[in-house]
Amino acid sequence: VGNWSGKLPVSYYLVILAAGFAGSFHCIGMCGGFACALGRDRRGRAVTAERHLLYNTGRLTSYCFMGVLAGALGEAVSSAHGLGNPLLNTPLDTAQRLLAVVAGLLMILMGLQFFGLLQSFHRIGNIGFGGTTLAATFRNLLSSESRAAPIAFGVFNGFLPCPLVYAFVAQAASTAAPLSGFLVMLAFGLGTFPAMLMMGGLGQVLTPVWRQRGVWLAGGFILVLGLITLGRGVLPLDSHMTHALATGAH
Amino acid sequence: MTQGANHLCSHCSLPIGIRSMERTLNGEECVFCCYGCCIAYQVKIGRSEEWDAAWLLIRFGVGAFLTMNIMLISLLLYGGTFGGADAWLLPWIHVLLWAFATPALVILGEPYVRETWIQARQGRITASALVVLGVGAAYAYSVFATIEGSEQVYFDTATMVLMLFTLGSYIEAAGRAKAARDLEPLLAAESECATVTDGGAETKRPVRDIATGMVVKLKPGERVPVDGVVVEGESHADEAVITGESRQIAKGVGSPVIAGSMNLDGPLLIQCTGAGSATRWAQICRSVREALSRRSPIQRLADRVVGISVPVVLILGALTVAYWAQTMPFDRALLIGLAVLVVACPCAVGLASPLATSLGIGRLARSGCLLRDAGTLEALARARLIAFDKTGTLTSGRPRIVGIESDGAGVEEILARAAALERHSEHGLARAVTVAAAKRGIAPMDAGKVRAVPGRGIQGEIDGALVAAGNGALMRDLGFTLVPDLAARAQAMEESGYSVIYLGWAGRVHGVMSLDDTLHAEARATVEALRQLGLHVVLLTGDLAPAARRMAAMAGIEEVQAGLTPEAKQEALTQYRAKHEIVAMVGDGLNDGPVLAKADVGIAVGSATDLARETAALVLPKDGLWILPWAIAVARKGWSTTLTNLMWAFGYNLIALVLAMAGLLQPVLAAAVMASSSLILVVNSLRLSQIPDPALLESDRQAAAEPGSLRHGVAVPRVASAAVERG
Repeated sequence: VGNWSGKLPVSYYLVILAAGFAGSFHCIGMCGGFACALGRDRRGRAVTAERHLLYNTGRLTSYCFMGVLAGALGEAVSSAHGLGNPLLNTPLDTAQRLLAVVAGLLMILMGLQFFGLLQSFHRIGNIGFGGTTLAATFRNLLSSESRAAPIAFGVFNGFLPCPLVYAFVAQAASTAAPLSGFLVMLAFGLGTFPAMLMMGGLGQVLTPVWRQRGVWLAGGFILVLGLITLGRGVLPLDSHMTHALATGAH
Repeated sequence: MTQGANHLCSHCSLPIGIRSMERTLNGEECVFCCYGCCIAYQVKIGRSEEWDAAWLLIRFGVGAFLTMNIMLISLLLYGGTFGGADAWLLPWIHVLLWAFATPALVILGEPYVRETWIQARQGRITASALVVLGVGAAYAYSVFATIEGSEQVYFDTATMVLMLFTLGSYIEAAGRAKAARDLEPLLAAESECATVTDGGAETKRPVRDIATGMVVKLKPGERVPVDGVVVEGESHADEAVITGESRQIAKGVGSPVIAGSMNLDGPLLIQCTGAGSATRWAQICRSVREALSRRSPIQRLADRVVGISVPVVLILGALTVAYWAQTMPFDRALLIGLAVLVVACPCAVGLASPLATSLGIGRLARSGCLLRDAGTLEALARARLIAFDKTGTLTSGRPRIVGIESDGAGVEEILARAAALERHSEHGLARAVTVAAAKRGIAPMDAGKVRAVPGRGIQGEIDGALVAAGNGALMRDLGFTLVPDLAARAQAMEESGYSVIYLGWAGRVHGVMSLDDTLHAEARATVEALRQLGLHVVLLTGDLAPAARRMAAMAGIEEVQAGLTPEAKQEALTQYRAKHEIVAMVGDGLNDGPVLAKADVGIAVGSATDLARETAALVLPKDGLWILPWAIAVARKGWSTTLTNLMWAFGYNLIALVLAMAGLLQPVLAAAVMASSSLILVVNSLRLSQIPDPALLESDRQAAAEPGSLRHGVAVPRVASAAVERG
């Protein structure tokens, strides 16, 4: 054991990082608003930077937590079928294939939604008890001058319903290991850093046209990733070919 | 009993249990039924300038941040990431976990420790003590293990259990408040504000300060705060809370509006006709508040179970640890003990009954049906027999003409002459005559020198000739002759319980009108609906047997006991109780108070004062007999929800407890399952607030739309026709 990190190549995480970066143009819609609201602190640039870093750290922690949980869940599902072997190392068993199919389909659905298709699917984000109430009450945190407030805000922000996050959590689950799940979400979260930090600093610099392009780019990434994941589930490929496909997107 | 307000949770409006939480938030005294409500309330009322709420969120956010980091690292640890060559890192990781866990425990555990301490000082052990003990033990062991340098630490379990408990109670409380949100307007009625306009100036005033004559401005979608008359504007109103019937009623200048009804679509200016605290709406709200704060027998039982379960669980936990420690390492045994403590937290048992009954009471109140207490809901649901009192309950108390016997004159002439006299009278029977004439389009003749003869009837002159309408004595006094045939028919009518009016002119009696009380339009359909609910319906009345049987036949009631004194009615109820266990009695609440009080569920129609006098346990809206089957259906649903809730809560706790004691349930899983069990109760109870509004049957709706056609009028001058008409 202790060899999982080696199994998924760095390039795979780079793809995720890039996808996170592209996807963050979508984030600007909602989370960007929060980042803007966090805004500039009158106590100076250093305090502003610190607040934004803390906020994003909080957000990243939530993502990573979800990633590690999803990975562990994926592993539990796979090993329940007797094969606890890491992904892409041995022939995939049925459970892992199924996981890949489900995750792939989810990602494709999310990806299509970015192109404005499947509008009704959007409602998936609104299930549960009062997501909007939460979003409203969390604004309280923004005005607090406490150092801990941005971190708390980031943590909650990370759990707000977001199709982009769901898509990557599905991806994390399909890797079927806690560590790789963690790394997927870490890469994704870091990918969103530039845009979110930029929002804090620059405000609404991006024109709607560019934002729209960014959203399409994100949709494209997710669609491709979804197709690859789906392919891993349905195509009778050996591990090397899957490997090549998974990393071939760069 | 102290003031009702202190018995309801500030957040979810449900009755608080025996162990409430009291807090002062932003200078306001608040009482909560559970920790979850305390959190949810602060989140809800949170404004940026209110430090309490923001501080709470920051604490949870930071707690979650630390907990997630601990969980993240621990999951990677369990996955073996730091095995093999990286094993030297392990002690350092444990120290890191310790560093994360300590502030997390302080932040998240503080409310539990505080609660335990407050209760312990009063000599009580509560569910929070279970959490504190379990989590504290896991933490203490882990600190010990870290210092010792052993393989396993359980910081993740300690913090995650706390996190899940906190999160679970928050989500559950938020859901509960959502379920109970319909109760809110019922509880806030008198403290609500209304906009009073005085010339140009507008001021907000609490409803209880509004006095007669003030002009109140009302926006669309607002609740009418006071009884009054529209002085400006046009709109529609929904008066379901008063009449039980949910439909739009047009309001224009001069229309009366009732406090508690909803102004739907137009702005209105209304002039107040009574004090804000004296409306039926205010009375409804007071009675709902009162009903909610009284605990039902089943709730007392549940509370008692909760009370003894905590010490029992503590003992079980200790025994479990002692048992498993014999066969496995102490830390594993401790963990199993922790799972036992966490999983047996009896929150759900305490929640099961008040949640369902409160929602049921609230649902009924929103359609104008008021319950005295939670126990009534149970009794109403379980009632197997309903006894009706006749006068004013099944009948309207307004007589109408059901038959006209004539001798030497047409029916039309009789009505025309009778109406000529009776339209000068205020007597109830007289009104029946004029209504009957008007109904058939007969114009009253012109009568002069009309005068009432006290205790006899009325007399006057038409075309110079003496005409009289009244009882037999009046006819004899005036020397009017009565042919034997007509006399026999009149006597037969009187013996059958009809009221009779003789009409005579030109020296002889020409007609005999028989009058009968009117059956409520909806009586038959109501009785039928009750029968379909499996209830045995009987009629208990003080009236003469023939009249009672006739009414019963028209209403479709088969079992009748007539000529009963109030004492005899009580006696009859006692006999029925022996056979049917739980009996309900419907009365008008005026004459039969003691009888209603004697029944298991006394049901009064339209008289809310009986609720205050405790004679009736359920009060229906005025003219609201038709709503009774619906009310019983709601009560049954509320009762069955209470039962399923309790079964689930008990069953779940027992099964989970056994699993935990057998070592099959991990503490973190136990905490998650614990939180979800309460949530299931909320979801199960939510169905209660989704019960549709009561609906009039289509035939009744038509009847109600044409007043006079059934309730007050006369259709055909034959006795039998009344029954035909009903069918």
